[in-house]
Amino acid sequence: MQSPDPNHPIDPSDPAGTVDFGYRRVGASEKRGLVQDVFTSVAGRYDLMNDLMSGGVHRLWKRALIDLLRPRHDMHLLDVAGGTGDIAFRFLEAGGGAVTVCDLTESMVRVGRDRAVDKGLLSGAKDTRGVTWLVGDAQALPLADRSVDAYTIAFGLRNVTDIDRALSEARRVLRPGGRFLCLEFSTVILPVLDRLYDLYSFNILPALGQAVANDRESYQYLVESIRKFPKQEDLAARITAAGLAQADWRNLTGGVAAIHSGWRI
Amino acid sequence: MSDGSEEAGAAPESKQSKDPGRQVDPKLLEFLVCPVTHGPLKYDRAAQELISEQAGLAYPIRDGIPIMLAYEARELGS
Repeated sequence: MQSPDPNHPIDPSDPAGTVDFGYRRVGASEKRGLVQDVFTSVAGRYDLMNDLMSGGVHRLWKRALIDLLRPRHDMHLLDVAGGTGDIAFRFLEAGGGAVTVCDLTESMVRVGRDRAVDKGLLSGAKDTRGVTWLVGDAQALPLADRSVDAYTIAFGLRNVTDIDRALSEARRVLRPGGRFLCLEFSTVILPVLDRLYDLYSFNILPALGQAVANDRESYQYLVESIRKFPKQEDLAARITAAGLAQADWRNLTGGVAAIHSGWRI
Repeated sequence: MSDGSEEAGAAPESKQSKDPGRQVDPKLLEFLVCPVTHGPLKYDRAAQELISEQAGLAYPIRDGIPIMLAYEARELGS
């Protein structure tokens, strides 16, 4: 038994110090490795799978995220958990200045970096536009206080062991006036859609993961972790508790996903 | 125990990090800090490491990608 680390608050009602990993309970120190295993396993086919799983709808959600962000040429974005570069490339294509991608899983970052080479967007090429790639933990970001103008995390916060720590890290690295945006699966609010969504999630999706990525377990984790993630209003409350102002959200596709927003003031 | 830059902690792929074609952008050091102490980092080009004196850790750079995780870092002077 390891003694509790003061930097990793443990739920007093849960003395074993366990956290959700999908529907399983695992040791708080174990989750990071399990998440890395999932994403190492799916890295090469991650973006293809997103297209297949969402019928391409994730593209509309990501466009909504970029629209809210309103990229500017003098904006430095930190995109957390965006290893394959999906948000980073969209940000640059929409006129964003510079983006730093920070992901826990090295193989995801390598996929993104190789795509950037193909796209000719590597930092240092011709102008200052470009992407900087890092491997790092959302709960202990390797960025200076008040160093970025915006923080995005798309389909990443769900996988973080301690969401509240990640939120306070987001606040720390944002400059005053900087914006926090989180795109994540959420809780379906429409009565018929929720049942269809259950059917899809628990029956079709893991089978799709098996067929396309030969990896049912990783996609089973994906479905379960979505259901364990806090509801819209609960996440907004935790964003506020982390010291970000004007926490709010916008549902996408009836709440299948939501974009949460907050500001550092 | 580690006694030199050839041994990079738990990093099995560290031998690849010496690739000179993958250099770290110096602009990075303007906002990159040690994730443990939030202190400054020193870039060791030859070893392809980012050194945090305060934390006593050397973060590996693999193929130009800084690995900013304490558990992947080499302990200095051990």
